[in-house]
Amino acid sequence: MIERASINDNSTNGEIGFDDEVLKVKNLKKYYPVTSNVFMKAKSYVKAVDDVSFSIKKGTTMGLVGESGCGKTTIGKTILRLTDKTDGQVVFQGIDIHELNRKDLRKMRPKIQIIFQDPYSSLSPRMPVGEIIGEAVKDNKLIPKEEFDEYISKVMIDCGLQPYHKSRYPHEFSGGQRQRICIARAIALNPDFIVCDEPVSALDVSVQAQIINLLMELQEKYDLTYLFISHDLSVVEHISDNVGVMYLGNLVEYSDKESIFSEPLHPYTKALFSAIPVSDPDVRNERIILEGNIPSPSNPPSGCKFHTRCRECMDICKTQIPEMLEVKKGHTVACHLYTGKSLKE
Amino acid sequence: MDNENKKDDKSINKNDKSEETSYQANSEDNSLSNVQRVKVLSPGMLVIKRFLRNRLAIIGFIIILFMFIFSFIGGFFSPYDETQVFKHIGTMSKEYVSLSLNEQYRYTSSDENIYNSNMHSKFILAKNKGETNFILDDIKYHISEEGKDFYSIFCLEPIAKITYFRNILSVNLHEGIEMPEEINNYIKTAIEQGETYFKYNSKIYVLDKDGRNYILESTQNVAFESLLIMEKATKDIEVTYEFKYFLRKALMDDEVSIFEYNGERYELIRDEYSISVNHIKPDGKEPYALASEFSIKSISQDVFLSIEFKKELIKTIMSGASSFVYPDEHGEDIEYNILRNNNMYTVKKLTNTHLISIHEQPSLKHWLGTDQHGMDVLTRLMYGGKISLVIGFIVVFLETIIGVVMGGIAGYFGKLTDMVIMRIVDVFNCIPFMPLLIIIGSVMDALDIDPKIRIYYLMLILGVMSWPGIARMVRGQILSLREQEFMIAAEATGLRISRRIFKHLIPNVIPQLIVLATLGLGGIIIYESTLSFLGLGVKFPYASWGNIISGVSTAYEMTNFWFVWIPAGMLILLTVLGFNFVGDGLRDAFDPKMKR
Repeated sequence: MIERASINDNSTNGEIGFDDEVLKVKNLKKYYPVTSNVFMKAKSYVKAVDDVSFSIKKGTTMGLVGESGCGKTTIGKTILRLTDKTDGQVVFQGIDIHELNRKDLRKMRPKIQIIFQDPYSSLSPRMPVGEIIGEAVKDNKLIPKEEFDEYISKVMIDCGLQPYHKSRYPHEFSGGQRQRICIARAIALNPDFIVCDEPVSALDVSVQAQIINLLMELQEKYDLTYLFISHDLSVVEHISDNVGVMYLGNLVEYSDKESIFSEPLHPYTKALFSAIPVSDPDVRNERIILEGNIPSPSNPPSGCKFHTRCRECMDICKTQIPEMLEVKKGHTVACHLYTGKSLKE
Repeated sequence: MDNENKKDDKSINKNDKSEETSYQANSEDNSLSNVQRVKVLSPGMLVIKRFLRNRLAIIGFIIILFMFIFSFIGGFFSPYDETQVFKHIGTMSKEYVSLSLNEQYRYTSSDENIYNSNMHSKFILAKNKGETNFILDDIKYHISEEGKDFYSIFCLEPIAKITYFRNILSVNLHEGIEMPEEINNYIKTAIEQGETYFKYNSKIYVLDKDGRNYILESTQNVAFESLLIMEKATKDIEVTYEFKYFLRKALMDDEVSIFEYNGERYELIRDEYSISVNHIKPDGKEPYALASEFSIKSISQDVFLSIEFKKELIKTIMSGASSFVYPDEHGEDIEYNILRNNNMYTVKKLTNTHLISIHEQPSLKHWLGTDQHGMDVLTRLMYGGKISLVIGFIVVFLETIIGVVMGGIAGYFGKLTDMVIMRIVDVFNCIPFMPLLIIIGSVMDALDIDPKIRIYYLMLILGVMSWPGIARMVRGQILSLREQEFMIAAEATGLRISRRIFKHLIPNVIPQLIVLATLGLGGIIIYESTLSFLGLGVKFPYASWGNIISGVSTAYEMTNFWFVWIPAGMLILLTVLGFNFVGDGLRDAFDPKMKR
């Protein structure tokens, strides 16, 4: 029996509630201890994910953007319980994944899948493609034996592969095809939710488009929900319904795609979006260049973590941590500039 | 099937135009028949293909194959056994007779137990001091010089106390002894003449002065001491003590040529160094005894030396020659060689015996000759190869199992487990391998462990000592594989842990493992050979290439008996080289960066 975790529906500040949300991440924290010795206790922690909350509606795609090292991938892995959380909740279809025992977790595994960035290292080099795709299906006994071959062929065709590729090995495929194999491996388990961890950043642009379109196509066909992690904003703009912006382990802005791309609120989002290249050579956008490096997540700045690089830094930013405020409908931001502009007030 | 695929393709194409071009290409691919398709090789097949392209590896493989056939099948074809000793009949110069010039008194006892070496030494002491009596165990003995280098020993027993005062003689006989009256006259005469002994009834009585009184003692001849050695002439003759005593007495007089004993007549024939005694019988003479100053003894007890042989021998020695020829019982002339060592002479004779064919040169019968035990070298090489290879394989198997388990545990579980196991590995790496093996080898020597059981111990020790390298490699591999994305993906897809380990982790460690094990085999064979060479590994009678080589220990053997050690050395060299070639070839073949 899968135990249903009790979810507090009285939304806290900045949390958006949906009735049909597939995934709900609540105050998720993931700290990595910094130790120099096995026998010593951790002196400090790298706060890879620090108090992040969001939720994803069924059949939608949430884009998660941010600089490298801001904790995007860690969120992805913690959602799948590939790493253990430090605190908070990951509720998938009303079940807290981190509270499951091993047996129930294994039953749950096929429902949530992940597609990795590097299609070269994410496929076992000593296994033919058919086995890579079908292995977990067989192991989880999702499909009866008689239908197995046909099923795998169908999934492969859906993902743009040919059935005769089954007996080939990953080293015989190009990067784009390998990514298709990865997608097929995920799709074959008939998941409800897929974490796409920068699935296209290792591919060249033409293949990127193919893969993105494949993902969107599959989303429609299989009624999938995506968490699309990327640092490529144009890709995110293309695929996402909602977008979350992360900075140093925190979610600083969350909104639907249209709202955030037309009117970014957080100074960091503004700076980030100003870096999107524009295809028209005559248009000159103001480029906001952030100064300094991203601070160490093991020793983050006090107050607003962005204040060291923020153009509009105020005194309050250095001491007080800003809360997520819903400034417009469905558009929340964590910045002191918008204090008092919350819709609720 | 193809039609279906095309249909599916089209439906996808409709949905997405951007992928049109790539799908068209795919459709064309799909229309190719199976024959036209490029043959798809699995990674394993690719490895074999790459391996077969490596000439050196193929050479190594052929060498190893040859070694296997030679060692495991060769034994069945060899007509000989591992420990079969070959013999041949040949002549050998064997010691036949030893001879020495007698310069010491030898005693001849009248009865076996009455006179022994204790008395003999007492006699020598008394003689050197010039005394005529000696006492041993409260019994008095009397030495009577009968001639030159000839003494009789008498045992004295007091029988009476005699008082002689102013011509009045009184004899007090001891209890239980009776004597005739007429002896008194003899006593009286002896005392008056101042003699210490007298003869009565062919028996000698001794008068021992004790203050004013005398003690009369009866005598019994127990032995005589003489420099001359008297031996019987033929096997069947029994020469009595009395005869010897009479003979010795007769010999004192150089003039005597015939003497009588027990009613028989004996003839004495003197020559330069010896005197032979012939028994004169009515139908002729018969050699009876030989007296000389030489002690002649045959080495083998069942050989009886004739008088003529002895005479010939003495003559040769005294003339200073070093060899002589004397016919044996079949009338054939046999040459005898004489070796001198101080006063000892050793006579050697060439005899036919079964000889072990030691260090026989290569021939059709023994293709590589025989070794120092007279065993066929080629056969020993076959059996030795079997032991060497089996030890190598079992040790590598053992160390691989221990190494994979330990390294796997360390790598998969990490943290404290990893640290503990790696420290154990460090400790094992700190132990000096060779001295330890030498110590264990000599401990097994001291415990007298059976050579067969010793082989098992050897395998166990080598296996237990050499796992750390493999454990370290496996741990490193698993640590790096564990973080690979395909392992994370496997976890995400909900695969069982056992499947993750056996289908994803292990297959990726196996290539390195095979390479390490193959290279390790050569090393183990070298170790085993070294230990056996030092006499601490496989022991005789079991053959191993190492102990075949150790049979050659001197420069003489090394230069002359090349056929014993060079083939064994070549086999070790070739096998280790073969394993190293194959190991290198496998390493290259498993390297995915090497495309062709």
